[in-house]
Amino acid sequence: MKLLHLYHDIMNLYGEYGNMRILTRMLEKNKIDYELDCLSVGDAVQVADYDFIYAGSGTERNQKYVLPHLQTLKEELSQYIEAGKILLMTGNSFELLGSSITDAQGKNWQGLGLFPFTVKEQNRTRTTADAVFTMEGMEHPLVGFINKCGTIEGIDLPLFQVKMGLGNEGRGGVEGIRFKNFFGTHLTGPLLIKNPYFLDYLTTILCKNNALDHSWMEEEKAAYEVTLGKLGERLAQS
Amino acid sequence: MKKFITIIVCKLLRFVGKILGKGSSMPGKVALKICPDILNRINLPPYIIAVTGSNGKTSTVEMIAHVLTANGKKVAWNKEGSNQIEGVTTLVLDSCTLGGRVKADILLIESDERFARYTFNYITPTHYVITNLYRDQLTRNGHPEWVYDALLDSIHDETQLILNADDPYVSCFGYGKKEVVWFGVGELSTDTTEFSGVYHDGAYCPHCKQPMSYSCYHYDHIGFYQCEHCGLKRNDTAYTVTAADLEAGRAVINGQYEITLALKSLYNIYNILAAFTVASLTGIPGEKITPCLNNYVLKNGRVVTFALGSRRGTLLTSKHENSISYNQSLRIAAADWEGCDVLIIVDAISRKYFTGDVSWLWDIDFQLLHQENVRRILLAGTYCHDLAVRFSFTDIPGEKIQVLDTVEAAVAALDNDRKEKIYVITCFSDKGKFLSRVKMD
Repeated sequence: MKLLHLYHDIMNLYGEYGNMRILTRMLEKNKIDYELDCLSVGDAVQVADYDFIYAGSGTERNQKYVLPHLQTLKEELSQYIEAGKILLMTGNSFELLGSSITDAQGKNWQGLGLFPFTVKEQNRTRTTADAVFTMEGMEHPLVGFINKCGTIEGIDLPLFQVKMGLGNEGRGGVEGIRFKNFFGTHLTGPLLIKNPYFLDYLTTILCKNNALDHSWMEEEKAAYEVTLGKLGERLAQS
Repeated sequence: MKKFITIIVCKLLRFVGKILGKGSSMPGKVALKICPDILNRINLPPYIIAVTGSNGKTSTVEMIAHVLTANGKKVAWNKEGSNQIEGVTTLVLDSCTLGGRVKADILLIESDERFARYTFNYITPTHYVITNLYRDQLTRNGHPEWVYDALLDSIHDETQLILNADDPYVSCFGYGKKEVVWFGVGELSTDTTEFSGVYHDGAYCPHCKQPMSYSCYHYDHIGFYQCEHCGLKRNDTAYTVTAADLEAGRAVINGQYEITLALKSLYNIYNILAAFTVASLTGIPGEKITPCLNNYVLKNGRVVTFALGSRRGTLLTSKHENSISYNQSLRIAAADWEGCDVLIIVDAISRKYFTGDVSWLWDIDFQLLHQENVRRILLAGTYCHDLAVRFSFTDIPGEKIQVLDTVEAAVAALDNDRKEKIYVITCFSDKGKFLSRVKMD
């Protein structure tokens, strides 16, 4: 099993490294051998070698900084996604796979164009919100946080239904993008730690095994229930 | 006439508010409704000193006010830390005559970093201190670059910038400018040549985004950095901590002014240095500043000592959603060689707004507590399970750690005859829940 954390040192708004820590713990607990590479701008990346690729959220400037490097991986990433391998991109990293990002100054940045959506940023109000999302095929909703400054138009295949928080185009609606095993969402930070059931969902695909051991996840599940409960209370009040 | 009425209304509301124990932002809010440009119409004193940054604003402002007042200056300042435009408006109007003249030699303003551009749209500071830019309250602030851009809008060309040279983000405000007053800490025995921490916000140059190098780190991304690509580097400093011994609790400024530290942290040293710098720039000689800062115990309640039965403890107010603030507190506990127990409480994440986001726990370097002298660690509050998960990714042995749902249970667990000192690390939102159950000094 080969895992890649791409742009680990620059697309790291807060705590994104935790996603790889919990993923590798899951593999260790299930005695599955793995290799983890952490690569960044300037490194040679053999996309096809990997079984799981992750990139996290960054500042708007850091997102633009990694774009030229990611452009060089365009064809390989396209084939990787088509092959049904897992690509998890969180925060504004997944925006890079769309057709364009218009920044707050009006400058247009060409994305990789693997999907037809467009992103428009502004620099006056930070849009942030706690999130509760549901996903088809998953009994447990996801919890998390969104921290962004743009809106996305043109996604036909969203990942989540928004129960609480921000969607692609504003408050509510749908969020993220899903195509085969490419998962893009604006949920930031260590979402796989906060969502043990989503971790289970992804590792089930990764290991092609739906009987993975997650008996060790007691604290993770307790933490998830607390957050879900708190957000649920909040949602009931609104 | 409108000015007169606005001032009267603000003063009255402030007077009534004080009796009722209300905060200081409401009167200013009403004043701004009546007269949106009221701050433009006030006759301000010759010195307008503003302080902003992620951490240390309140403490720095308190120390500046203390030094200036002790040296005979009349200072108007936002003592309660209401630091957005409404709070500043209350401060200004409450300090002025009915004719609209501020009755002080110096107006000293702590300003929230995101809202500084609104406040300083009306007021042009003569001196502007920026302490640091960290990951702080990202649920509201976005990220440090977002705050940087917001702060950039608040800076006037004619203002004297006073900047922390050791923070690469802050130094960008002075990039290419000649008239900046830089302050910073020289090389210390506690410096490291390798980065230590969970994330490195100085890995890439904030000015040009190319990889950046450090000759030494004081803590986190604070230290001696240089970018070979664009030339951004730690500037030479006019006000410098030339020696510091945290264990002995002393720091020396500019090779000659030795200050004894009431709080033995590098954090405190930066705040003292910023206060020293500002006081110097208002013309007070170093030998008159030093005694004021010697052993100065902050009155803002950020550090509280207490007794719990026969045990002694210190509560270190640390900002939730601010990993560097937490790291500083963890360092203080870890440096207590006589042995200690540490309680960390995350019960409500903020006192000002709701969020259930605990991503920031993953940016804190809890590994700092992996020390022989840290005997027991208690994790308490609503988010104790998130803390437990986070600690499971340190090397700290599980048997040292106790997880408790409530602050009450944590107090009960500490109420015994162990000899170890207790350190409590928590935020404004949660500290009252603990302090109400112990005996404060």
